[in-house]
Amino acid sequence: MRTEIAQIDLRLRRRSIIWFTVGLAAYAFILVAMYPSVKSDASLGDLTANNPTVAAMLGVNGSLTAPTGWVNGNLYANFLPLMVLLLTIGYGASSIAGQSEDGSLGLVATLPISRRRLVREKTLVLSLLAAPLAGATMALILLGRHYDLTLPTGAVIGSTVAVLVMGVDFGLVAMIIGVLSGSRGLALGLTSALAAASYLVSSLAPVLSWAHTVRPASLFYWAVGGDQLSAGPSLTAGAVLVLVGVALHLVAVAVIDRLDIR
Amino acid sequence: MTSPVIETHRLTRSFGPHRGIIDVDLQVEPGQIFGFLGPNGAGKSTTIRILMGLYHASSGTAQVLGLDPLRDAVELHRRTGYLPGELALYPRVTGREILDRFGSARGLRDTRYRDELIERFGAEVDRPTQTLSKGNKQKLGIVLAFMHRPELLVLDEATSGLDPLLQQEFISLLRETVAEGRTVFLSSHDLDEVQRVVHRLAIIREGRIVVTDTVDGLRRHAPRTIELTFDRDLDTTTLAQLDGVQVTGTDPRHVLLTITGPVAPVLRAIAPLDPIDLLARPADLDELFLGYYRSTDRPEATRAH
Repeated sequence: MRTEIAQIDLRLRRRSIIWFTVGLAAYAFILVAMYPSVKSDASLGDLTANNPTVAAMLGVNGSLTAPTGWVNGNLYANFLPLMVLLLTIGYGASSIAGQSEDGSLGLVATLPISRRRLVREKTLVLSLLAAPLAGATMALILLGRHYDLTLPTGAVIGSTVAVLVMGVDFGLVAMIIGVLSGSRGLALGLTSALAAASYLVSSLAPVLSWAHTVRPASLFYWAVGGDQLSAGPSLTAGAVLVLVGVALHLVAVAVIDRLDIR
Repeated sequence: MTSPVIETHRLTRSFGPHRGIIDVDLQVEPGQIFGFLGPNGAGKSTTIRILMGLYHASSGTAQVLGLDPLRDAVELHRRTGYLPGELALYPRVTGREILDRFGSARGLRDTRYRDELIERFGAEVDRPTQTLSKGNKQKLGIVLAFMHRPELLVLDEATSGLDPLLQQEFISLLRETVAEGRTVFLSSHDLDEVQRVVHRLAIIREGRIVVTDTVDGLRRHAPRTIELTFDRDLDTTTLAQLDGVQVTGTDPRHVLLTITGPVAPVLRAIAPLDPIDLLARPADLDELFLGYYRSTDRPEATRAH
């Protein structure tokens, strides 16, 4: 597969990928290094263990000072998805609509490549964009066993991949809205709102019955809404995240021909 | 008989309540430099984007190199070089990186001609594009459009930002290109540039083609000017009544005639008036172009994107 366009787009985002990775890795390291000093803090543990609403808001099952609670409440249920989504939604909105608005897509679209290939290469970039950030974070969390923060390796890897796939899904949503509207701003705004709603539904599902009812519609639920850091994402969760991504990619391929490119 | 390289029939593109271009008919023969003139916002870029398969037409048909610009876009783009009117290069990457990637996407292995063009135009390829001046970016755009020796070049305001020496170099490049049997579709609002190089041209105003002709053909219909000097104040009524004659100027001793019809009746009318001096100027193509450019409609009537 030829990937010249993907290579340019990755090259353009090289710095942001590096700095996002360094920033979140530093944050993850601090979390890991802090763990030995907070793991015995009973009052912190009780904050979520005895209060399901607070636990739900933080995305924690059980005690905040348990390894899964600590990593979920401080990283996997919120910060890691947020950083991944910042990258993927930002790129999804700019990859076609944004580049069309600023005029740079016009040159690319007059190369002898089909619009379908254009979408394929943009999707490839979406898949790779957040991988260094998530990979570095995952590696540091796995190193936590040297700081009494022991989590099942397979579950951590599975959860990390699930967050990445969710990021690709939302990035594709932004891409599609951008293609349909021709507006980067609209794509960014609508997709961010959709992601925020998805997060709220997933995190409030344990305490609100309506949220519990609709939570299968939330990609956050399938990626990090359950007990993923203990048991790993279920096969169903993995299938939903991947199939949604495939479906969104097909929609993007189908609608790209409608776009007027500047 | 060879097929036209570009052929459009009643090509129309609407933008909401505004009509971008309306019933545009164009025919560009192989080996020509075809000029596409019009003021800003007349619809030049809209037409070009449809020809390049970037925009959808609302109605009408377009064929470029015998291909449908949307359905056959990959094949069309393989055989075409395009320079957009508002050239936007990726920031933070060097010109060389862009040329390499785009060359690779085109399957361009022999880069000698590309490197020759870089040398010829003095294109700055080793600095990030956001640090380049408009002229230096335009040089890169020219190299991108020409580097694969396409059969057809579609160039939108190609000399924008180039200094006069490079404009001359660019014109030489166009002449070499058509000498090889290739075709150039050159959009511009620079009348002088177009007069110098094109074989045929079309003028578009407010989305409609107002004239298509050769430069010589246009020159034949261009207004000529005769300036007359008298030693007395002159009543110009007789001259103003002649067909194809317009009396301009307000000084009754210096009369300026703009003539679009035959000259002989004018000379016969002038002789009995006994002027003390007569100065005839050649056909003024600029004035003709400007006449086509000038709008008679209200500004909100049509808008092109």
